[in-house]
Amino acid sequence: MSARKQQDEEEDELVASKAWDSAILRRLAREARAHRGLFLKSFLVLATLFALDLAGPYVWRHALDGPVRAAVEARAADPGVDTDPQVMSFLRWIGLYLFIVLCAVWMRYLEVSTLNRTGQAVVHDLRVRLFRHLQSLDLSFFDRRPTGSLVTRVTSDVENLNEMFTSGLITLAFDALKVVVLLALLYALEWRLALVVTLGTPFLILVSMVFRGGARSAHRKVRARLSRLNGYLQEVLQGMRVVQLFGREERVSQRFGAHLAGYLQANLRTIFLFALFFPVIDFVVSAIQGSTLWVGGLEIAGASLSYGEFVQFWFYLAMLVSPIRELGERYNVLQSAFASAERIFDVLDTQPKLLPAQTGTSAQPIRGHIRFEAVSFGYLDGLEVVRDISFEIRPGETVAIVGATGAGKSTLINLLLRYYDPTRGRVLLDGLPLAAHDPESLRRSIGLVLQEDFLFAGTIRENLVMERAEVTPERLTRALEASHAREWIETLPGQLEESVVERGASFSTGQRQLLAIARALAGDPRIVILDEATSSVDSNTEARIEEATRELLRGRSALVVAHRLSTVRRADRILVLHKGQLREQGTHAQLLEQDGIYARLYRLQFAEAAGG
Amino acid sequence: MKPLLRFFTRFLRHKRQLLAGFACIPLAQLADIGITVVIGTALDRLQKGEPADFLPGLFGIILGLSLCKGLFRYLQRWWIVAVSRYVEIELKQELFDKLVSLPLSFHVKSRSGDVVSRVTSDVENIRMFLGPGVMYTLGAVVMVPASIALLFTHNATLALTMLLPLGLMALGMKFFTPRLHTWSEAVQESIADLSARAQENFSGIRVVKGYGREQEQARRFEAASARNRANQVELGRARGLTHALTHAANDSTFVVILVIGGWAMIDRDLPAGQLFQFIDLTFKVFWPLIALGWIAGMYPRALASARRIEELLNERNPVQDPLEPRPAQPVRGEWELSSLSYTYPGAARPAFQGVSVRVRAGGSLGIVGPTGAGKTTLLLCLCRMLEAQGEARLDGVAIPRWKLRELRAALGYVPQDSFLFSDTWRANVEFGADAPLGEERIRELAHLCAMDGELAGFPDGIETRIGERGVTLSGGPRPRTAIARALARDPRALVLDDARSAVETETEARLLATIQGQSAHRTVILAAHRLSSVQRADQILVLGRDGRVEAQGTHAELLAQPGWYRETWQRQQAQSELARL
Repeated sequence: MSARKQQDEEEDELVASKAWDSAILRRLAREARAHRGLFLKSFLVLATLFALDLAGPYVWRHALDGPVRAAVEARAADPGVDTDPQVMSFLRWIGLYLFIVLCAVWMRYLEVSTLNRTGQAVVHDLRVRLFRHLQSLDLSFFDRRPTGSLVTRVTSDVENLNEMFTSGLITLAFDALKVVVLLALLYALEWRLALVVTLGTPFLILVSMVFRGGARSAHRKVRARLSRLNGYLQEVLQGMRVVQLFGREERVSQRFGAHLAGYLQANLRTIFLFALFFPVIDFVVSAIQGSTLWVGGLEIAGASLSYGEFVQFWFYLAMLVSPIRELGERYNVLQSAFASAERIFDVLDTQPKLLPAQTGTSAQPIRGHIRFEAVSFGYLDGLEVVRDISFEIRPGETVAIVGATGAGKSTLINLLLRYYDPTRGRVLLDGLPLAAHDPESLRRSIGLVLQEDFLFAGTIRENLVMERAEVTPERLTRALEASHAREWIETLPGQLEESVVERGASFSTGQRQLLAIARALAGDPRIVILDEATSSVDSNTEARIEEATRELLRGRSALVVAHRLSTVRRADRILVLHKGQLREQGTHAQLLEQDGIYARLYRLQFAEAAGG
Repeated sequence: MKPLLRFFTRFLRHKRQLLAGFACIPLAQLADIGITVVIGTALDRLQKGEPADFLPGLFGIILGLSLCKGLFRYLQRWWIVAVSRYVEIELKQELFDKLVSLPLSFHVKSRSGDVVSRVTSDVENIRMFLGPGVMYTLGAVVMVPASIALLFTHNATLALTMLLPLGLMALGMKFFTPRLHTWSEAVQESIADLSARAQENFSGIRVVKGYGREQEQARRFEAASARNRANQVELGRARGLTHALTHAANDSTFVVILVIGGWAMIDRDLPAGQLFQFIDLTFKVFWPLIALGWIAGMYPRALASARRIEELLNERNPVQDPLEPRPAQPVRGEWELSSLSYTYPGAARPAFQGVSVRVRAGGSLGIVGPTGAGKTTLLLCLCRMLEAQGEARLDGVAIPRWKLRELRAALGYVPQDSFLFSDTWRANVEFGADAPLGEERIRELAHLCAMDGELAGFPDGIETRIGERGVTLSGGPRPRTAIARALARDPRALVLDDARSAVETETEARLLATIQGQSAHRTVILAAHRLSSVQRADQILVLGRDGRVEAQGTHAELLAQPGWYRETWQRQQAQSELARL
């Protein structure tokens, strides 16, 4: 299943996606609308910069053809003539040029920083929106997807869109504008020279596009082979024991070598293409320059073209080449950005399957009266994990679920938490369906301890409080006291502020369990949902957990997947699940009397704990 | 710099191609400068009013020169970048071989993500710096002085003043680069933070939803994203400054040319064509200079990568073949362990301790105990994947005195996770054998391990790919394939690490029967969760939760005394009874 998913993704990435998709573009434009001001500013900066770029060569031409030429000619006529007026005029042109250059430098700073700021603004919004949307999706969405691919959505896919805005779309639009304006200016300057350039330009574009096609397929091959190479590396690292135990170091090394050879081959092809591309482009440019010189030279000789005009022309020609040369590169950026945008929108378009709870429907305090009415549920269509389950937990009652592995115990918890909605039947709380409760008061009324409880990076305090307003310092102190977590937390150097590393790996299983219980207690919930851990801990910790659990359950409505004899015995009622069905129900004593499944389960699971 | 120089010697292994590539650099650059000179001279001739009939010939010369330039640029890139790729794969192969040779203790303590990034991005950083990086540097090293020298002959003052902006740029770069570096690191960190937060949220989604923390999580994520955005904006500013600075240097060169050149023209010291050369060469010097800035920015990363890779290459392997290995002779498979124990580095207590037991050749030993009692660790010590304290002897020879290869050749190991490769089923089984197996032997193994049913259902039979891009094996078929792989090497001793309920009960019975049957002449050491797996073993070792030996004996003996073994046996019996309800 997961291999299948991975394969699909790998191919997704390699499939030639469209380089232009106006539907996606329109949608991106909508996302970006909030930052119109920044976009406007970017356009203004780029336009000013372009105008300044054009103005520079214009000054050159007028300085050279004006004062310089006048002075040279005046000197030629009379070597002793006073050229001061020409020098003054020349200085004015220089002053103007200096001003232009300074403005251009400032604009270049703004060009990079504003475009970047614009892209980042859009990216930030989209990233946060994507994350919020993901938070609203139900668990079945997360069940189906590897965490890594979801992380990619909010990181590199979104990052790709930044590229799209900065070096992709805006720049592309401006490059196109530049080419058109420059060509027009060249024609205005000297149409015969411009004609020479116009005849050469299609060759440039042709080379650039042909190369792009080749380069893209070559790049795709490199990426595919690299991912296979890295995949193999990861696999071997994972299976290192097997490799070494079987003495197969050489065999896997050869295999890796074969992957490397394939990767090298694909790389050599891209090197070849790139090595060829730039010289070919340069050659075409040289040919254009050479013929410009030929035609221009004839005109200079025939005095129909001034030297200053030629210099201006030369500058503009240099400016014309670079956008065309980078056309292929822009195309590739756009393409990968479109692919990312598509993946992002795909997530944004996924609607939660659970109906949203109606806010404010029932904001009355929750008493904790739970009823399952003929509930059936399956994670996959047509495969029911629990069937036709009905039971009741009255306020303050503890109900324990017991059963063999795979009997459907955790599923009942998942349904009560509304991770999923039942396929048939109803789950009622205080007489109303779960969806009819105000989500905030519902959440506040539930305390949750999961089997493998999850700790977040941060401090112990943060993990206990979880930013719940109802967890006051006094409540926290009481919870720590009652859960016996205080004693060992006080032995830590940072105490409550001690930091928790990834998933609380630095704490023992028992400590994590105590923390999870303290976390639930701190909220002083009406309802407790407890999935007792099966992993073994030392007897000292075990005793503390037992006491903490008793404290947690006291006076609260509780649904407990029980693994501890003490918990089962104290339960007001025990539900015996077997193969997805509720087979027995009653107190410990009643069920033992019945001598059915529970009696057997009891004998085999709890015999040890009961002291034989 | 030193580590990078050491890596550069790897490039010299491809001396001929590399030097040919280097030789092309000045040729290409000179042809490029030649074009400028030719055009400049032509402009001078035109200005002097010479007849224009030399223009067609000039066009030809320009084309010829640019053809040369193109050819040399092509060759330079092709040869030098290709060499950098050769070095890349040689280095990757070397790293891979190193990794494969390093002992389990190394792999346990290093995170696989870190190791992968050394083989991938660190190698790439070095390749970029020493390959294309050096190529562009050499290009600039030829282009810049040659252009300046040429211009110097035309007009010394102008040529010298042109250096001024370049100097300014170098100074500015020195000032701005740290800033660029700081912010780019800040950005890297904030992106890593974002991705860690996302990762944490998605894997802990049950707790997040159970406590209704979606809003708070989103708010925290938003704050992290805002921090990233702020860093990105600062980085954009720093980039903008550098960008503006390089262009300022370039543009101010033009200012210098216009001022001094224009003046010189008025004074008739400078012909128009030479002014053109100044302009055109400024264009041509600009890009190599930008490339230099880019390479300077790569340097710290390349250096750090070189250090990390060297660290890995210098990693020493404490598990070595003995100086005086046991003389080669057939292995019988007799084990003798005396007060064996192992403590993981940094662990408070031994994973297991005080294990003393004898297993005759062809006999069997079962190892049982609760999770975390050190069963797997004990098996790994027998294969010298870990170096145990105390003594373990195979055929009377202490484990460290065995040649690793011989020791492991004598063992057939079935790992707890039944790790299989993404390859065909057949290749996975043949992984165990020293030579390719015949069709018949493969089928025989498939039958022995009760895989014939599954294989018949696979699209390509034994040639079906399993794992990634193939059929996913689950539950029973996985460990059964792992057992087939171990049997394929026809080992003297079979070492099985049976995962918790990995094999279904029905097939388990049949499989155990075949292993025992097949193993009449083999020693079998079996760590098991299900006690029925070890009940027929000659001897059973019960490890306690603290890694100490709790009891030792035959099934019957252990059942006769109260304790973990008897309780667990009763519970498991009842469990299987319950499963049949």
